[in-house]
Amino acid sequence: MRFKNHTLTLLLGAALVGCATEPPPAPAKAAAPTAAVAPAPAAVTPPAPPPTPAAVRNMISTCYSCHGTDGRSAGSIPGLTGMNAKQAETMLKGFKSGELPATVMMRLAKGYTDAELEALANYIGTNLK
Amino acid sequence: MSKITRRDFLKIAGAASAAGVLGHAALARAAEGGKGSARVVVVGGGFGGATCTKYLRRLDPGIAVTLVEPNAKFITCPFSNLVLGGLRTMDSITHGFDALKKKHGVNVMHDTVTAIDAAGKKVTLKSGKTLSYDRLVVSPGIDFKFDTIEGYSEKAAEIMPHAWKAGPQTVLLQSKLKAMKDGGVVVIAAPANPFRCPPGPYERAGMIAHYLKEHKPKSKVLILDAKDAFSKQGLFLDGWKKVYGDMIEWVPGAKGGVVMAVDTKKMVVDTTLDKHKAAVVNLIPPQTAGKIALASGLADDKGWCPVDPRTFESKMQPGVHVIGDSSIAGALPKSAFAASSEAKMCAAAIVALFKGETPAESSLVNTCYSLIAPKYGISVAGVYKVTEKGITEVPGAGGVSPKDAPDSFRENEAKYTVGWYQSITADIWG
Ligand SMILES: Cc1cc2nc3c(=O)[nH]c(=O)nc-3n(C[C@H](O)[C@H](O)[C@H](O)COP(=O)(O)OP(=O)(O)OC[C@H]3O[C@@H](n4cnc5c(N)ncnc54)[C@H](O)[C@@H]3O)c2cc1C
Ligand code: HEC
Repeated sequence: MRFKNHTLTLLLGAALVGCATEPPPAPAKAAAPTAAVAPAPAAVTPPAPPPTPAAVRNMISTCYSCHGTDGRSAGSIPGLTGMNAKQAETMLKGFKSGELPATVMMRLAKGYTDAELEALANYIGTNLK
Repeated sequence: MSKITRRDFLKIAGAASAAGVLGHAALARAAEGGKGSARVVVVGGGFGGATCTKYLRRLDPGIAVTLVEPNAKFITCPFSNLVLGGLRTMDSITHGFDALKKKHGVNVMHDTVTAIDAAGKKVTLKSGKTLSYDRLVVSPGIDFKFDTIEGYSEKAAEIMPHAWKAGPQTVLLQSKLKAMKDGGVVVIAAPANPFRCPPGPYERAGMIAHYLKEHKPKSKVLILDAKDAFSKQGLFLDGWKKVYGDMIEWVPGAKGGVVMAVDTKKMVVDTTLDKHKAAVVNLIPPQTAGKIALASGLADDKGWCPVDPRTFESKMQPGVHVIGDSSIAGALPKSAFAASSEAKMCAAAIVALFKGETPAESSLVNTCYSLIAPKYGISVAGVYKVTEKGITEVPGAGGVSPKDAPDSFRENEAKYTVGWYQSITADIWG
């Protein structure tokens, strides 16, 4: 709990206002055309395609060893319930970039592509209650 | 997640036989209007096997799952080192099968599989019963090569316990630690790779030192190692120094750590260089896949089981999947976390295969937490994918806890070590 609150204020504070209630559609929409018009970033490889729903189920099931079955933690590791997709995505990407301090998640999050983290976040927001 | 109804089975079976792809027994039975559903038998109710039963039933409640496990309750190796340290009771590391039976509809049989007939798709039990299956999952853990060290045997393990299967051996080692006089030497003999739980002997050293520091502070822990390097080595060596001073000494293989022989009467351990007189000896012998895997032609000449990295189906016996410590799972270590992760991928693959689908891409994780002291935790983590080279670690991810972390970091990881244990055991037996 402490962690989550800390995390969210830290990361969502200015940039992504409104996440705590509902994911704001505006910033996402605004970002898309800009990216389309702007010259392609210096990416060498094309972004990996999003994982299939069955692959996401495989992926999320491995998180349950620490976060509990369906994200319902049985102990001191925070659960994955009660957050929306945007919140989960922000935290997962924060772990990956290292902006969000952690003990183990920074090492694990680096094992997934951004597309995979987005799919995991979506699964968390949609299915883990 | 979808529930397979009889009609789904009919559709799949119809399509499959029309295409001539599969003639699966379960599908055939369903198509004939028989009341059989696909049957999976799982051998072993430990970390791999029990996880597999629960996740098969979660993914497809239409599958009939039978678990064969001799013990009425399962005692976990994880946290058995904490029992030696006095941090946990045996009771707190013991888990029953009621939830698997009642909540998840697994048919649990307390029996032992004595033979596997892969061609006839059936197993024989100690009680004399036979069970037919459409797919078999084998997760029997490890067994010991007792005869590789002169003077050691299953009987000698009553004097120099291995405590590498949790249960009576754990209690025996604990009673020997309690009975020893202050000022004695506790020898831990650690095996060469590969073996169950690479950081296990070193976590044990810290937990035994924790007990000794409180109760017998003049005593020492001497690790005689067949290897020259070990898991999380830098973190362990730093932590031991910090918490226990010179109480723990590690002798690598090249400097006389390789144990060649033991004398259980004189309590002497012989290495390539020295003889060590000990008050307590914890001898962890070299290991193989579980006996049933060896006896059923599932293991290679080194004693471990080659499998398809995606489905964990044996490369030696079709229709039989091997998971957990017994399997050769590429870059994954032999850990409880890995066994459970493999079991989930295996369950998903079996569900897909029954439907005539290609199994989805797998994703595996391992994290081994170790306690050096009650408030001093460290970990090694990794994310794994299946590539053309088998199960490989995703580069740039994972690794060990940072080296010069503040005490608060170690304390948080100690807290999460306990959190992990609570979550994984509830995820498996809850
Ligand atoms: C001291 C110690 C500490 C450890 N700590 C950790 C840790 O902190 N974290 C971690 O991830 N891992 C840890 N491990 C490793 C972990 O215990 C194993 O990797 C894990 O148990 C492997 O799971 P498994 O399913 O292969 O075997 P097991 O969990 O051993 O299960 C095998 C089961 O199969 C049954 N069986 C065997 N033969 C038959 C048969 N013929 N018929 C029916 N049933 C049979 C056995 O009774 C047993 O219940 C530790 C190990 C040790 C020794
Ligand atoms: C080895 C145990 C472990 C595994 C496996 C693991 N996590 Fe975590 N997770 C943690 C811990 C511990 C934290 C607290 C932050 C830290 O110290 O790393 C955390 C924090 C989080 C948080 C922030 C929760 C909050 O409320 O602050 C999210 C989201 C998360 N993990 C998602 C995942 C996902 C998704 C997976 C699977 C891909 C996963 N985790 C796998 C241990 C784990």
